[in-house]
Amino acid sequence: MNGDLLRNSKMESWFCKELFEQVPFNIAVIDRDYNIIEANKNFADYFGDWHGQKCYKVYKNLNYPCLGCNARLTFEDGKSRVSDESGVDQRGKEAHYVLHTAPLREHEEEPVKYIIEMSRDIIEVKNWQMEYQLLFERVPCYITVIDRNFKIIRANENFREKFGDVVGRQCYEVYKKRKSKCPNCPAERTFRDGGVHRSDQVGIKKSGERAYYMLTTSPLGRDADDIAHVIEISIDVTESKKLEKEVIEAERLAAVGQTVAGLAHSIKNILMGLEGGMYIVKKGLKKNDNKILEQGWEMLERNFNKTTSLVRDFLSFSKGRLPELEMVDPNELVDEIVNLYKDVARNVGVELVADLDENIHKAPLDPKGIHTCLTNLVSNAIDACRMSDRDENEVRIRAVDKNGTLSFVVSDTGTGMDSEIKRKVFTTFFTTKGGEGTGLGLLTTRKIVKEHGGSISLESSKEKGSTFRMDFPKNRLNTLYKEGLSKSGESN
Amino acid sequence: MDEKVILIVDDEADVIAYLSAVLDNYDCRIYSADNAEDGFRKAAELKPDLICLDIMMPKESGISLYTKLRSTEKLREIPVIIISGVEQAHEFDFFKFVEDRSVPPPEYYFEKPINVDEFCGVVDRLAFNDLEHKAKGDS
Repeated sequence: MNGDLLRNSKMESWFCKELFEQVPFNIAVIDRDYNIIEANKNFADYFGDWHGQKCYKVYKNLNYPCLGCNARLTFEDGKSRVSDESGVDQRGKEAHYVLHTAPLREHEEEPVKYIIEMSRDIIEVKNWQMEYQLLFERVPCYITVIDRNFKIIRANENFREKFGDVVGRQCYEVYKKRKSKCPNCPAERTFRDGGVHRSDQVGIKKSGERAYYMLTTSPLGRDADDIAHVIEISIDVTESKKLEKEVIEAERLAAVGQTVAGLAHSIKNILMGLEGGMYIVKKGLKKNDNKILEQGWEMLERNFNKTTSLVRDFLSFSKGRLPELEMVDPNELVDEIVNLYKDVARNVGVELVADLDENIHKAPLDPKGIHTCLTNLVSNAIDACRMSDRDENEVRIRAVDKNGTLSFVVSDTGTGMDSEIKRKVFTTFFTTKGGEGTGLGLLTTRKIVKEHGGSISLESSKEKGSTFRMDFPKNRLNTLYKEGLSKSGESN
Repeated sequence: MDEKVILIVDDEADVIAYLSAVLDNYDCRIYSADNAEDGFRKAAELKPDLICLDIMMPKESGISLYTKLRSTEKLREIPVIIISGVEQAHEFDFFKFVEDRSVPPPEYYFEKPINVDEFCGVVDRLAFNDLEHKAKGDS
């Protein structure tokens, strides 16, 4: 604006009048007795008629001056002040506003006769604050805000209810009852790189129960270089974990019934073979016929071996244990199996190939369990090739680490399966190998994979071959590994 | 009397060997098949006097073969003994396996392992002495 405009006193008075009316504030001028002697249109629109009334009546519908009145202080010392105020608007509804009080005088040394009060409605901001507060307190998640020393400075109601009075305490002490910072602390990473980090965690509630939660840490600060706090938001998944366990238990009980029936069936078949062997041996003895005797004896031997392998497979299937995870190189596991089976495969005209991913990292796996799985899959694949009409067949084992999932893939160019067999392969005691198979191999494999938090899938087409794929999400492997470590820590 | 023909259908070689050894005492010709498909083909070709049939076989089950036999005009009168390791609470409930009530149940059911004397008694009755049954089959 050009300063010349206000040199003309008429223009100055017009400008002041316009400013007084147009400025987006409620403006009132009061005297030392709190009488409102002037107010702008915004003020009248917001607080209603003010003529001949005291300010405390208009602002707050009071019949006496407010306690801690800022105007009074400004009258006394001539200093400007700002305060958050609550009052009543012209419709009688609660009003929230910021109030600036400033002395109105021509010279600083004069006593203050009038005060100008400028206020602005902040009800929306208040509403947001309330919404935020409600959200923070009542959202069905755990929320904590921690400072750079990992001290909890705020915690929401849900968190306080489950973890106790926690403000001022170290987060690791509250969440996990630890005496020192957790290894791989996601909050520390957020402080360091300003990023949002997600992880699965296991903590201990004030009741002593384990809490399984999915944690997200986000930075709170003006920019990535100035992160004063980290907000930790977690979803408690303990209940769904319990439900998951109950479902597994129900499935297990159903499987026990199915297993007992299947086991009885297998035993009866073996008994029939043993009885047949005895019958034929007896017949050979009676007829003094060595050929018959030999046939009977072979039958006895065969069924004795079947008993041994059934018991062995059944025991490995029934072992209900958590996998014993240790950091192993998946390529080494594949190599072991290739070395074990390459001669067997070559003898039946099958080439056993390992596709190794050189960039694969060590992962927490139960080496014995994975060895059993790969053994089952590879021996099945070799059998499928042996039964195929093709002269040359191939079994390929791959270990792949992609998109957070570690996979072992066993594919063959053998007989393949139709949809009926595909549907049955994972059921107890199902076998396509007649008396040669126990029908427990794939079931045991699936069990071990599930114990690792993984899944097994099958693709197959008749006469073309089959591919079995075991997928292990690495975050689940890591959680199991941590659980295993904390358990072994507890037992120590 | 013509020499009797008995067909054994079972995927277990040892069961075939055992039953063959038992049936060897009879004056009969014994044939075997290790799957349902081959069993049906041999049944149609040989028209046996008795079929000993297992239930649980890979690919096609013994129940499927049995229903096929019973719905084939020329084969439906052949007596069938089912010999299986399938667990039965008390006695064999055929309709647990076959929903179609119009399919008649088999002549006899044995749970593995078999009682040889009882088995021979049933074979005697069904393949050698059961004139009424044979008369039906001839009509």
